[in-house]
Amino acid sequence: MKTYSLLLFPVLATVMTAGNAGPAAAPCCPPPAARPACCAEAKPAAAPCCEEMKPAAAFSARSLYQLDARWTDDGGQAVSLASLRGRPVVLAMFFASCEYACPVLVDDIKRLRAALPEELRGRAQMVLVSFDTARDTPAALRAFRERMKLDDHWTLLRGDDGTVQELAMLLGVKYQQDARGQFSHSNLLTVLNPEGEIAHQHAGLMGDVSEAAKVVAGLSRAALLP
Amino acid sequence: MRATLLRLWRKAPGPLGLAVLFGLGSSGGARAGEAGPAGMAYIPAGSYAPLLRSQDEPERVPVAACWIDVRPVTNADFLAFVRTHPKWRRSQVSPLFADSGYLADWADDLEPGPRAPAGSPVVRVSWFAARAYARAAGKRLPTTAEWEHAAGAGFTQADGASEAGFNSTVLEWLIRPSPIPLPVAGQGRANFYGVHDLLSLVWEWVDDFNTAMVTGESRGDTGLERTFFCGAGSVGARDTSDFPAFMRAGFRSSVRANYAVPNLGFRCVQSP
Repeated sequence: MKTYSLLLFPVLATVMTAGNAGPAAAPCCPPPAARPACCAEAKPAAAPCCEEMKPAAAFSARSLYQLDARWTDDGGQAVSLASLRGRPVVLAMFFASCEYACPVLVDDIKRLRAALPEELRGRAQMVLVSFDTARDTPAALRAFRERMKLDDHWTLLRGDDGTVQELAMLLGVKYQQDARGQFSHSNLLTVLNPEGEIAHQHAGLMGDVSEAAKVVAGLSRAALLP
Repeated sequence: MRATLLRLWRKAPGPLGLAVLFGLGSSGGARAGEAGPAGMAYIPAGSYAPLLRSQDEPERVPVAACWIDVRPVTNADFLAFVRTHPKWRRSQVSPLFADSGYLADWADDLEPGPRAPAGSPVVRVSWFAARAYARAAGKRLPTTAEWEHAAGAGFTQADGASEAGFNSTVLEWLIRPSPIPLPVAGQGRANFYGVHDLLSLVWEWVDDFNTAMVTGESRGDTGLERTFFCGAGSVGARDTSDFPAFMRAGFRSSVRANYAVPNLGFRCVQSP
């Protein structure tokens, strides 16, 4: 199982749902008990040492984290998008067997990350969400991670058809599967602020990602402030 | 047969009942022996020729049979929905799911008012809201293929394209500005399957509208912008003379799921 450094942040542990709050949760904050998805916004019961860390407030009206959709990562763990709360996120939709645009899209995100000031590079999380509900199993995503040499700052997710469609609709991503099983799709990078609101979108491949990098850097700095 | 018609009449009284009767009476394609859900017409399985397709894809794709609402969802229908689903009222809807134009023609949260008469199609509803309505009704939004297959029928035959005068009727609506308030739904001439207003009242949401990947304006770019879309090189247009189909593809590609647009309503389907 992959352990993401993301999961080590105690503040995130307070918003984690039961599925992904495993051994990686901070020791002083026991993972919250399983809650139905509709209660995701409720404050989890905090252990005494967690109280000073401000348990999760309700999500803002424009936060994608208010969705109760469940995803699975390439380690086979259940993940809610809300577990990304607290740091900037660079998100793109893709499919692992794509031979044309997706590797380039990933490369664009790598360039974006490289353009960040070094001290901020570890703050943002890169998230790739697959369209390919049939073929992109956790194992297929894991193979993609290896092939593209993606470190722990990358989260790879898969979901069911309805979940993928809903996220694509919220991001404005267009996609269509053809007879060969390939997808035509928008090449779109979305930057989410720490609250899960869309802060910036960058359309197109191999373009100038400096504007997106600037947004991510700004959000990363703000997220570092007490 | 007569008993079936009577049953239908009772299920869908008033003008709607007439519409169903008229539809069944004029078509050989409908499932005459089955009553089906109230206010819905049966669209038999068939095929649909996508406007844009990749080179190695078949010209026509099969479409399964479905039941489709005989008219678009009205303001009265939608009012009943928001009464029981408060999160979809204008003052309470999340901006994530509907922009500021949501139900803007309505006088208030629970009062459609003079600009949105009860019998007129509800417009300025987002895709998310339309989908929520459909789910609450135990239905769903039609796919592009289902919608286009149903709308491809003429007045007197299943294939509207080969029916004299049908295409010009469709074009007529496209060039005529929509009146405000919109006319009552269900009054347009029924098509071969007994469905009203598919091409003559409002634009309608489809479940997979985001598969339409035309960028910019439809006249200038029938293909795809290569850097914006993956697979761009492989998708091309089927028939560049089918202007209304281009309009629909252009419209679908220009909206986002939270847009609440004037003249954009919806209807629902059910699988048999």
